[in-house]
Amino acid sequence: MADNDALFTPKLTGHNYVTPDLRAKLTGSARFADDFRAEGMLVCKLLTSPLPHARVTHLDLRTALAVPGVRAILTADELPPPADSVSDSGAVIKASPWAERALTMEPLYQGEPILAVAAVDEATASAAIEAVDIAYEALPFVIDPLDSLRPGGANARTDGNVWLPPARPGERPRIGELKWSAAEFEAAGPDRLPLGKATNEWSYGEVEAGLARAALVLDETFITPNVSHQALETRSALAWWENGKLHLAVGSQSTVQTVPAIAKWLNMDANDIVVISEYTGGGFGGKITASVAAIIPALLAKKARAPVMLRASREDEQAIGRARPSTIGRMRAGFAKDGRLLGLDMLVVMDNGPYEEQFDALMAGRLASLLYQPQAMRWRGAAVLTNTPTRGAQTAPGGLQVSALLGPVLAKAARRLGLDPLAICRINAPEGRAPVGPPKPDGSLNAATSVFVKQALDRGASAFGWQARRFRPAPAKGTVRRGIGVATGCFVAGTVGFDGLLVITPQGRLRIHTGVGNLGTESFSDAQRVAADALDMPWEACEIVWGNTGRHLAWSCVSGGSQTIHAMSRAALAAGLDARAKLKEIAAQTLGGKPEDYAIGSQRVFRRDNGTQGLSFAEAARRAIELGGIYDGHQCPAGINKATQTAVAALAGQGLVAVARDTFPRDGQTYSHVASFAEVEVDIETGMYRITALHAEADAGTVVHPRAFAGQLAGRSMLGIGHATRQKWFYDKEYGIPVSRRFYQSRPPTILCCPEHFTWGSVGIPDPQTPIGARGIGEPPTGAACAAVLCALNDALGDDTFLRAPVMVDAVLAAIEPAIRPAADNLSANV
Amino acid sequence: MHASIVESIRPAGMTRRQFIKSVIAAGAVSSSGLLFSGPAGAGPKASPRVVERLLTLDVNGQRRRVDVLPQETLAQTLRHKLGLTGLKVGCDRGECGACTVLVDAVPQYACSLLTQSVRGKSILTIEGLARPDGKLHPLQQGVLDEQGFQCGYCAPGFLMATLGFLAVNPHPNRQELAHGVSGNLCRCQDYDKILTGLMRGAEYMRKE
Amino acid sequence: MAIIRDGMPPFDLFRPASVDDALALAGRLGADAWILAGGLDSLERFKDRLKRPKAVIDLGGIDELRGVRREGGDLVIGAMTTLTEVSRHPDIRERFGLLAEAAAAVASPQIRNQGTLGGNIAQDTRCWYYRGGWTCYRAGGGTCFAGESPQGQNREHAIFGAEGCVAVHPSDTATALVALEARLVIKNRKGEREIAAEDFFVGPDRDITRLNILVPGELLTAIRLPATWAGATFYFEKVSDRPVWDFPLVNIAAAMRLNGDRIEQARLVLGAVAARPWRLFDVETAVAGRDRNAVAEAASRLAAKGAAVLPHNGYKAVLAANLAKRALLGNKDA
Repeated sequence: MADNDALFTPKLTGHNYVTPDLRAKLTGSARFADDFRAEGMLVCKLLTSPLPHARVTHLDLRTALAVPGVRAILTADELPPPADSVSDSGAVIKASPWAERALTMEPLYQGEPILAVAAVDEATASAAIEAVDIAYEALPFVIDPLDSLRPGGANARTDGNVWLPPARPGERPRIGELKWSAAEFEAAGPDRLPLGKATNEWSYGEVEAGLARAALVLDETFITPNVSHQALETRSALAWWENGKLHLAVGSQSTVQTVPAIAKWLNMDANDIVVISEYTGGGFGGKITASVAAIIPALLAKKARAPVMLRASREDEQAIGRARPSTIGRMRAGFAKDGRLLGLDMLVVMDNGPYEEQFDALMAGRLASLLYQPQAMRWRGAAVLTNTPTRGAQTAPGGLQVSALLGPVLAKAARRLGLDPLAICRINAPEGRAPVGPPKPDGSLNAATSVFVKQALDRGASAFGWQARRFRPAPAKGTVRRGIGVATGCFVAGTVGFDGLLVITPQGRLRIHTGVGNLGTESFSDAQRVAADALDMPWEACEIVWGNTGRHLAWSCVSGGSQTIHAMSRAALAAGLDARAKLKEIAAQTLGGKPEDYAIGSQRVFRRDNGTQGLSFAEAARRAIELGGIYDGHQCPAGINKATQTAVAALAGQGLVAVARDTFPRDGQTYSHVASFAEVEVDIETGMYRITALHAEADAGTVVHPRAFAGQLAGRSMLGIGHATRQKWFYDKEYGIPVSRRFYQSRPPTILCCPEHFTWGSVGIPDPQTPIGARGIGEPPTGAACAAVLCALNDALGDDTFLRAPVMVDAVLAAIEPAIRPAADNLSANV
Repeated sequence: MHASIVESIRPAGMTRRQFIKSVIAAGAVSSSGLLFSGPAGAGPKASPRVVERLLTLDVNGQRRRVDVLPQETLAQTLRHKLGLTGLKVGCDRGECGACTVLVDAVPQYACSLLTQSVRGKSILTIEGLARPDGKLHPLQQGVLDEQGFQCGYCAPGFLMATLGFLAVNPHPNRQELAHGVSGNLCRCQDYDKILTGLMRGAEYMRKE
Repeated sequence: MAIIRDGMPPFDLFRPASVDDALALAGRLGADAWILAGGLDSLERFKDRLKRPKAVIDLGGIDELRGVRREGGDLVIGAMTTLTEVSRHPDIRERFGLLAEAAAAVASPQIRNQGTLGGNIAQDTRCWYYRGGWTCYRAGGGTCFAGESPQGQNREHAIFGAEGCVAVHPSDTATALVALEARLVIKNRKGEREIAAEDFFVGPDRDITRLNILVPGELLTAIRLPATWAGATFYFEKVSDRPVWDFPLVNIAAAMRLNGDRIEQARLVLGAVAARPWRLFDVETAVAGRDRNAVAEAASRLAAKGAAVLPHNGYKAVLAANLAKRALLGNKDA
């Protein structure tokens, strides 16, 4: 900075406002992907596999093609070969032979798309699907990871059942086989995860020594559920081709980053793809870019030479719409008398689904090292393939699981050691630049940018009335038991290095071109408040351009992993500061003096020593156009992403064009934390329970938009509560087919499932490693709330009563009457 | 099913009985296709009492003439034929509420009603709330002022369910209103803020 | 034929304006016709393409099938009266609150606005195999996937009266109607008959392919609540995993005539434990003439007597006893 001005004065940042997308959502005029219509539009339906693993042995499309109104049928052999990718260093990474394709002749799960029909209307498309003559050879399948790990257990794929690390550095992970011995299963018994071989592991410190000197060692097994994302908008996309360019209106969490993702799936040039995604009906990690459901209409549209709409049915969405992988964890945890975690030995087996390796188990280990700061730790894990739907990151992937696996272990240790569960959370909580595993090659640990979760525990305990609730008398009603629980959650919460792009127009308005997707978190807009503040612009003079890559958007992060508010507020600030510098340079060139003689305010750039001498932003923008070069976008600085460069070139001459990459320093890994406090009342005669209160206290740095922040805390807490209380899959393992396909069978939470009293708070201490101070908040409430509710249920019903989440009516009643606990499938998530 | 077909596709490790059961369960083996002759209904009308396809719907105060198939849902008619895409089809099975519209002032799932069944009834959709000059309905304004909803896909359904509920109970407390809109799913699960917005909207409505 | 479960196949639609017209149509079309009440259960299966009727007779246009009227001390409820109307109707609330409460416990507000009392008791089972299109006994096949397969998923299935099929009746109001000794008016072209609600429902022992006695050509037109139980002591409770949009894991409806705490007479009915509402005869006998506080604990254990639990639904036997006890004691919070 050439002057001593503050980077930005938070006049807008930190305050509530109405986001620019809300009105359209409330009037029905917001266009989601399936609201698009095009002349001559065809609709597409899918033929999906009825079997969990099969090979198509016979396929005759003649009758289907003869159905009047059928325009094209797309099969797997028409898919372009998957594209190789190029690493940052320029090395070519060959396409994975195990990757998911949009269609397949060897389906690996029930519901996987085999072919797609485009027809003039839905009824015709459905009739054509039924007219397809198809036969299958059924292949061996497996639904539960442990069944696959057993000696002689089936492998989900013909070439193996687990993901293995690369054989040599620089190569891809590969699929191989892992089996555990009968003796290992025998030793574990029916209720414990066998301590078999893992495929990945890391450790630091002396774990066995830590366990040996512990006052209490717990050996716990727990299962977290498979939970589908179930965005309310099923996967939808309208595709059409114009002059060789693919246009795709698609529900996607991200906007600019969806383009290269599609390009890779289609093996085509990213410059020939336009993505339109102004509104997206929920994602939760399931629509981070775009996949199967966007590729199919794109290819069908090309084949049929007409626009094609795919709107997945809810049942197809259940199959192709992604899901969080179940994990089975076995945790040996050693505690000192004061509750300090001396050693943690953790084995996590993950139900990976049949395709790309998921990282929930890995993240669970990394986050365990941060969240509970064990003095010594070993993590071991295996991603086991099953013939169940493709998994994907879901809000706090691994973060939800680690809290659910370990939160209740801490609470149990507290009860065994006669400690306050809050105290055991606190004594193990990370602080400041806390260390994070896994260890680096030199053996040292990484560090968080900043952690203030102890403050969150303190503030939250006070707001919740933890101590008062601990000592409340039991409920008067004899069959009602009350319990309370506290737990922490965390997740990564920010990335760096993306671009900001602004235009100050000749009318003196600020136009912000952002490539951030809009999935409802409002970060696409919230982050831009910082750019406006950097220029002291009133919000009314700002306009956000988003959601259509044909409208020249800046390279942005994907909207996933709660990185956006951190990453894109930095990028917005970088662009704001670039605009400020250019305004001053233009003023100096126009009015004399040096740039640092000028200041900015009230939509003007003016001399510090003589406020009357200056330019309005409108005048400066016109002057920028006259000056050209870097000022109006005819020249683009180095270090900007190629996509942004293209956007700048298109905007050149429209005004003062400010563009910059976020190069602000950051030392450490960025994480946010939440401390959650829950109270439940369980009727032990009916097995039903209510969450009477929940408080979520955040440590996510500066709050940029309080209402959106609160919405994330509430909504993501509910997502965790769903995992604790009623969301899961049910599978018939003999046939490999899910029996729960509908909402009434998979039970996403309704408004009446909410805590009766929900409150929230935020520590609000800015993160020192980012100039805005803000970190993401979308993910950490999930694990914290899930674990707090599980802890509260244990508090009400006793330890060792639940082997898995969610805890439903039958599980509560079995806690009271253990005799009714089903004997079979103790370690299955899907029963 | 022919035994030979079964044998040729039976997977290793599965007994024949198991496999036949699985094939029956999944409908896995094709015999012959079943063909429909396009979307235009089931052939000649056998009775004078078969419904007329052409009908007039009263939608948002306007009379709209439309050709409706017997098996067409109100959601399909509104979204595909009348261009009213505000209501959403989140499940098409009456399980999410995103398609909620008012039929004679009563909230109903448009995905689970045959359009033919609402002949002569008046239908209100989200598009009918704001005034032609763009002024928002007080319920919309209340939600706007509280920054209600996240992705917004469920919003039209929630607003219509609320309007129908407020017609019966204009002075609800939070819990009553929560029950009133309990037939609407929000997967962003921002129920707390939605309810705050709807309560604000109800308050605005009482003042108007 | 490949499978797709999306989009209704075409059918002929009839919207008769009178019961007579509907009966004439139903008689003429016979097994080709599907009777449509509120439509929620039916449309779902049409969309799943599991039911493909040639013709659909929509009863929604028949005014005489709607509404509640008094007949002497009885209340007669038109079969097409919506669940919302049933739950709000002042006479029902005042004299037969059990039914109002059961109707209010169904599904969601919108479903209650559309779903009818007749449709709610005539709905089909929610067994997830049967609904999923598996060809089980009930669907004309040769096995019960939930009950006979070693890996069968049966947490929501029957503990009583299962013969072959372990599906349960999912209705909330059916339980209440049996407890209230409701009578059902059934018409065909030749005339009408009135039967006890209890006799309307059939288990797999009588017919494994349907849950009630209606045959093609017949309509359920009205539900009569006899004065017998008006104003008695009632208890309804539904146990489910979700507070809305969920079918009962188990529900209970009880009607009792009390003299102080002495039970003069009681009818207790469990739902979702069998293919039909399940009377607790043993409990009723055991409590007759006894002080409910003294007898509840022991008598309620009889509710689970004879339960044949499956690997995943043992909790239903516990619920049966617990709910019976709560009903006898008349205190949900007891």
